[in-house]
Amino acid sequence: MASLREVQDSFAAALRNPDVACAVLPPANLAVYRNNASHTFRKSLELTYPVVRRRVGEDYFHQLCANYRQRFPSRSGDLHWFGREFAAFLDEYLDGGEYRWLADLARLEWSFAECSIAAERPAVSSESLTRYSVTHLEHLVFHLQPALKLHSFPFPVFTIWETNQVENAPPVDQSLGKQQGMVLSRHDRIEIRRLDPGLFSFLCALAGGAPLGNAMTTAALDGRALTDALAFVFHEGLVCSLTLNDASS
Amino acid sequence: MTHLESRGVAPGPIPARAGIGLRSVHHEALLAERPALGFIEAHTENYFHEGGAAMRALLRARAHYLLSLHGVGLGLGSVDGVDREHLARVKQAIDRFEPALVSEHACWGRARGEFFNDLLPLPCTEEAARLLARQVAEAQDFLGRQLLIENVSAYVAFEHSPMPEWEFLGEVVAHSGCALLLDVNNIYVSAQNLGLDARAYIAGLPAGSVREFHVAGHARNGNVLIDDHGSRVCEEVWDLLRLAVARFGPLPTLVEWDNDIPSLATLVAEGQRADAILRERRGLAA
Repeated sequence: MASLREVQDSFAAALRNPDVACAVLPPANLAVYRNNASHTFRKSLELTYPVVRRRVGEDYFHQLCANYRQRFPSRSGDLHWFGREFAAFLDEYLDGGEYRWLADLARLEWSFAECSIAAERPAVSSESLTRYSVTHLEHLVFHLQPALKLHSFPFPVFTIWETNQVENAPPVDQSLGKQQGMVLSRHDRIEIRRLDPGLFSFLCALAGGAPLGNAMTTAALDGRALTDALAFVFHEGLVCSLTLNDASS
Repeated sequence: MTHLESRGVAPGPIPARAGIGLRSVHHEALLAERPALGFIEAHTENYFHEGGAAMRALLRARAHYLLSLHGVGLGLGSVDGVDREHLARVKQAIDRFEPALVSEHACWGRARGEFFNDLLPLPCTEEAARLLARQVAEAQDFLGRQLLIENVSAYVAFEHSPMPEWEFLGEVVAHSGCALLLDVNNIYVSAQNLGLDARAYIAGLPAGSVREFHVAGHARNGNVLIDDHGSRVCEEVWDLLRLAVARFGPLPTLVEWDNDIPSLATLVAEGQRADAILRERRGLAA
């Protein structure tokens, strides 16, 4: 008599491979479980990666799903995490070919999925800057929303995402080239927005923990550009809190 | 007093009335129309996260309705053991939403680290009953509350499965202290697929072991019934619910509808059919 471990191992093997036998009756009905699993995992990826699916079409997307599941089997009872490695899988699967931008499109969609379940912290207003003396401003560290995701892609991925919010969108001109932008959850809405290089660089520096003065230098912002950048971060509710770094004392 | 009680809805208990599953397409309509329901049921794993529209919608709905949290991901019959990380998330959801009932399934779902994200059947053996009971008890100890364990639909029977499923579930109840969530549609689907006697199943479960009923629709694919929760409850399943109510008394009864989800009004109307069956029995008792 087989142990429960042996029963579950053989059932699992038969789910992965229809040619593997398992001591159940009727054996043909194992196909129901195989179909359930394929449907569940495919639907999970379709929900997370609707734009990738639109760009590659239904049949190829199903092929990607099947290959992805073989390469990255589910590691959680919470299906939300099943698609986490899809971008890394596409990097491997497309192997630097003509459609390698699909991996970056998947990265953008994964950020969208992460932001849709992330906590939104209360934002501080620009008036909180008035609590600090002018000499301290350059030492201020901006703590940004945990749900804020910043991306820089060598392809026009933000434009591809925007254009493909509808079915059968025309191809995007790849010569548009490199793009930067952000994904953010605000009041239960997920925003995906392109950013100009200076603002993107400024936000990346702040997100990396750089104090305001260093972030300004890194992004090569002049006084007017800094004013605009600060107006943006406060208006968009990106800042959760401000602290002074050690160098201010 | 908790933050939810302060808004007027205590954690429980849930009355012997019909409830519906909370699905995102109904969030707005439910809050706007506030139909009279005994409770709402939500899939626990959909509310594991720190934020998001779904989480806030459930908090708003919870201010008006009693809640049952129904898990699909613990797979407490897995030989791999209890997934403590998943269990901790369940506890977090319980603390946040204060459900009256918390349920899971008599199934397994992972092997050697790979999750199948499905409700896979267990052979009805002493070894499986002991393992499931032990892991249900472990989960209950961690959560600090009783779990309801649901019978799952089956499409295959194990060649070695010496005890009837109702006896198997009775063993699990006796050795873990859990109660049962009896899904009468699952009994019907398994009975049709495997040639079981659905009435004997209901008659064979231990008296007093059931705390909640589920009903749902199913689909036919050739000779196989598929538990797809995608249509109205069929008459045979309503009849089985009558039988279950006669045996276990009127209990909270959920109408599950997860695919091809209809309007809220249609779902509430299905709930009213369940309510009518529960009232029949209450009338008899009176």
